[in-house]
Amino acid sequence: MLSHFLLMVVYALLVSCFFTTLWRRERRAQMWLFVQLFVGMVGGGLIVAWLMYPFPSGPPAPIP
Amino acid sequence: MAEIASPPAPSAPPTPSTPAGTASPSRTAPVAPRLPVAQLVMAVALAWLVPGLGHVYLKRAVRGLIFFALVIVALAVGCSLQGNLYRPVPGQWLSYLATFAEIGTGVPYFVLRYGMHYEGQQEAPGFEYGTAFLLTAGLMNLLLVLDVWDIGSGQKE
Repeated sequence: MLSHFLLMVVYALLVSCFFTTLWRRERRAQMWLFVQLFVGMVGGGLIVAWLMYPFPSGPPAPIP
Repeated sequence: MAEIASPPAPSAPPTPSTPAGTASPSRTAPVAPRLPVAQLVMAVALAWLVPGLGHVYLKRAVRGLIFFALVIVALAVGCSLQGNLYRPVPGQWLSYLATFAEIGTGVPYFVLRYGMHYEGQQEAPGFEYGTAFLLTAGLMNLLLVLDVWDIGSGQKE
C-alpha cells in the first residue's frame, strides 16, 4: 500500500534523525532539534497541502 | 602643535589586522587535534565509500553506526519504491547533478547499479518518492564526508 502521508512521515523521520545526530551532541538539545525538524517538515507539508487544496489537480476524471 | 606631531603613546590599542566582521583568531582555532594528511584523506575516502565508516575510523563508532543505518534505510526505502537510480544522460545536465548526488552513497550505488542491475521503474506508483529517498541518501552521505573532513581537520569535535 502506498500512503503519501506515511512516506512523508518516514522521510521526515529519517532526515530529522540524521540532522539531529549530525548537529547536536547533548541529549536534550538533540530531542529539541528533532522535534523542531520533524514537526516542521510534517506540519509544513500538511499546511502546504491544505493551501493547495482549492487548486485543481488536473483534468477531471472521465465519467464511467 | 608639538603635541599633535608627537608619536602615539605606547599604550595605544593596536590597529586590528582583520577587517570588521570577520572571525576572530579564537574562533578559527582548531577545537580538536588535527589528523595527518594521509589519515585525513583515508577518513574522507572511507566516509564516501561506506556511509558512517569515516566516523568509525575517527573513533566515533556510535555516530557512524547511526549514520550507516539512516543512509541504508533511505536507500532501501527508495529501492523498494522503485525510485530512479540516475545515470548521466547526454544533453540532460540535470541528470549529471542527480547522478553525482546518488554516487554520493559510495559503494552501495555501484552495488545497486552493477551488482544488482537496479535501475528503477518509471511506471511504479512510488517512483517519484523513491527517487527522492535515493537522492536524499546520497546527499546525506556527502554531508557526512564533509563532517568527517571537519572532524579530521580539527574544526569540529
